[in-house]
Amino acid sequence: MTDETLSALALSVRVAVLATLANAFVGIPLAYVLARRRFRGRALLDLLVTLPLVLPPTVTGYYLIVLLGRRGWLGAPVYAATGWSIAFTWYAAVVAATVMALPLLVRTARAAIESVDRDLEKAAWTLGRSEWRTALEVTLPLARNGILAGLVLAFARALGEFGATLMLAGNIPGRTTTVPLAIYTAVQTGEETMALALVAILTVLSCLVLVVAGRLGARAA
Amino acid sequence: MSARLEVRLVKRLPGFTLDAQWSADGGVAALFGPSGAGKTLTLSCMAGLLRPDAGRIVVDGRVLFDAAAGVDVPPQARRVGYVFQGYALFPHRTVAENVGFGLRDRPRAERERRVAEVVTRLGLGGFERRHPSELSGGQRQRVALGRALAIDPALLLLDEPLSALDAPLRAALRNDLRAILSEWGTAAVVVTHDFSEAYRLGDRIVVYDHGRVVQSAPRAELLWQPASEAVARIMDIPNVLHGTVVKATPDRIQLRWRGQLLEAVNSPTRSYLPPPESPLAFFIRPEYVRLIRKDRGPADPGHHMNLMTGTVVADEDFGTTWTLRIRLDHPGPPAQGDYDLQVEVPHLVYEILEIDRDRHWEFSIHRGSIHVLPA
Repeated sequence: MTDETLSALALSVRVAVLATLANAFVGIPLAYVLARRRFRGRALLDLLVTLPLVLPPTVTGYYLIVLLGRRGWLGAPVYAATGWSIAFTWYAAVVAATVMALPLLVRTARAAIESVDRDLEKAAWTLGRSEWRTALEVTLPLARNGILAGLVLAFARALGEFGATLMLAGNIPGRTTTVPLAIYTAVQTGEETMALALVAILTVLSCLVLVVAGRLGARAA
Repeated sequence: MSARLEVRLVKRLPGFTLDAQWSADGGVAALFGPSGAGKTLTLSCMAGLLRPDAGRIVVDGRVLFDAAAGVDVPPQARRVGYVFQGYALFPHRTVAENVGFGLRDRPRAERERRVAEVVTRLGLGGFERRHPSELSGGQRQRVALGRALAIDPALLLLDEPLSALDAPLRAALRNDLRAILSEWGTAAVVVTHDFSEAYRLGDRIVVYDHGRVVQSAPRAELLWQPASEAVARIMDIPNVLHGTVVKATPDRIQLRWRGQLLEAVNSPTRSYLPPPESPLAFFIRPEYVRLIRKDRGPADPGHHMNLMTGTVVADEDFGTTWTLRIRLDHPGPPAQGDYDLQVEVPHLVYEILEIDRDRHWEFSIHRGSIHVLPA
């Protein structure tokens, strides 16, 4: 394997792992709140989180540029203050993968949390547990398999992310070129063997992920 | 008021309003009524799981909720044990962990001692390490009871505690539950839609209908003196009938019904005195109607009161008793569809009198067995 192939693989795994971690920190609380709390703006939050699932990835990427790019709402002040921008760095690939994977985790985890019998939570409250401790000791452990299945799906989505990553992180060999981008480049430049090898690797990984997620899902049901 | 339990609640929900008030002196209060009457809603409010719009809840002098004074103790601090319908045991925790769940703040040694004590007292010894899925229905019920009792609650709430069980088990566990409740002596509120369950478990029965309390009374009083026709119907009492008052005195009420002049005992505690010619609801317990044996000579009006004659138009075998539907000889439409009275006789009586063959009977009802229902 060439250095470029290896670096694309290493970057993809690093991006997918970090994006999955970010998903766990943001997505699980989000899923809990959407499943259990009633508040103003809940429908809007739900819509925002779910949107990347149905929008073309390039559109999501475009919004990310508008938000985080050098002239973006958040990106401009950061660039003005530090001279640094997240655009076209590998961090941008993590952000793009996180946003694209979030709806998969949130939807799966939310369904799992909603399926936990509310009487169990009420029982915990009457036995002295705060809502926060009840979530940690009762709700989330009982929704565990659904949440894990959601994380596995999020990992797979992050590993295969193409469109939004290309928009925000670009396709800089050795720096922001993940496996899906490397496959695109290889096909464009006629490097059939490399394309085939990377395609095979992604296919096998995705199959594995589906099997694992399926088993977790079956245990959750 | 020195009652141990005072409940006054108003809760408005879309399409339903709970407006209930009752009190009880310790022991077990059974909330009884059809489903959807607001019984479980009352429990939720008492446990602090649902906030009433108005009212006051006091347990042993401790105010748990008082809308006017702005008091609303959170469920975590109420010390109210709740046994949920279906028990709501934590499936990922063992029996011992379930029972000890509410004791987290206590020192470890004390917690273990308390769990061991509760497990032993409820006959769950040897099951400590099992998970709820590995228990029978009756054992689950006891774990749920143990979990609620372990925190030494000021009040125990039980929502349809027997409805998750099969019928044969239900009868046996009803007695177990009664024994456990009286042994622990904790004031308790039991919700049920089954009158025999309410009667067996409750010292006091609070009858709910459409979000209101229609009667609250010691169980024996309720059985013999339902406060109104509505209560009698909720209790599913047979033979609730409508007559006309002839004369009412504090001891007796004379009434006209289906061409008969009936005499009933007036309730000694409430001596209801409706004016003559006013409509009056009453009920006759089917097991208190006496068929007059034909082989012992004619009925004696001095001994047999409220004499009538009629024909058995239908009968049903309930194993130990027969239920007969009798249509009076008096012309005109029968009081209850195609019959006037439902009568219950033991199997032995049915066989001796050969009721399957002989359908026309004279019968009498003692005045004490005709119960007047105030309007």
